[in-house]
Amino acid sequence: MARWILLVVAAILAAGAGVYFWSSGQSTRDASTLLALSLPDASGHQEALSQWKGKVLVVNFWATWCAPCREEMPEFVKAQGELGARGLQFVGIAVDEPDKAERFAQEIGVNYPVLIGGYGAIELSRTLGNRVVALPFTIIVDRRGRVAQTHLGPLKPSELRAIVSQLL
Amino acid sequence: MLLGLGCAALALAIAVPVFGQIDPLPPERAFRFTARALNPQTIEARFAIADGYYLYRDKIHFSVEPATAGLGVPPLPEGKVKEDQFFGRVETYRGGLMVNLSLKNAAVGQKVVIVAESQGCADLGICYPPQVQRVTIALPAASAAPSAGGAQRKSWLD
Repeated sequence: MARWILLVVAAILAAGAGVYFWSSGQSTRDASTLLALSLPDASGHQEALSQWKGKVLVVNFWATWCAPCREEMPEFVKAQGELGARGLQFVGIAVDEPDKAERFAQEIGVNYPVLIGGYGAIELSRTLGNRVVALPFTIIVDRRGRVAQTHLGPLKPSELRAIVSQLL
Repeated sequence: MLLGLGCAALALAIAVPVFGQIDPLPPERAFRFTARALNPQTIEARFAIADGYYLYRDKIHFSVEPATAGLGVPPLPEGKVKEDQFFGRVETYRGGLMVNLSLKNAAVGQKVVIVAESQGCADLGICYPPQVQRVTIALPAASAAPSAGGAQRKSWLD
């Protein structure tokens, strides 16, 4: 009983954070536009997103000028560390300058690829479902290359875990 | 007590998805920019910031087109200080911001475009990329009433 109450209260808190309901969108769209992308990392080396096809791919659009983005990233680092071996792959796309993105990524010890999209990347995210064109924006792609979820605003750790564990 | 809390929580859980239908505002509505000429040399520039949204002080920049009109921008009012883990001390504005810009070389009756760049976030946990809003103003004669312009409103031109 107490456990149930705790769960409900946790759900309320998640809702109170104001990021869950308005921002989650379920869809089964094809992620081929996203997977066809190739972007440079901070050192200029091009990385094709298609290399992670077959994994559960979490593509997170972020920027250093977006505090909510920075706040949720340590959770991604944790999840990547724990679930990477089971086929979970995070990829950050920084709507930012390479040096700033790199500095922050190093600061929090990001253990997944961070690609540099610049401001053009946010327009790209619009075509992928980011209607309000804001950050953070996260797209979760299943192993078959379909968009399982798009999400505007920080992902609650519990929500992230729930979605990912269904797909792994 | 716990049961009561649980019931209240459940009621909220059912009610919340209704609020959840509300999307965050598009940035031009969250941070609405307007400007008007108070006289041929002075432009009153305003940001009306929606409740639950804020702008960063150091990300606000004004310019004028044509640049030859010579825009003078005074120091912006002090904002609310916030300690940012990455950027250090930052200042934010809520509610609104008003600043009087000066035009040093504009002619009476000249049309100028006031360009305002800004960047802000919402308490919902999202941030918008830098936005550029523009207001076209026909400068009045010295004695004329202030002429107003809303951001991106062009109806008076049509």
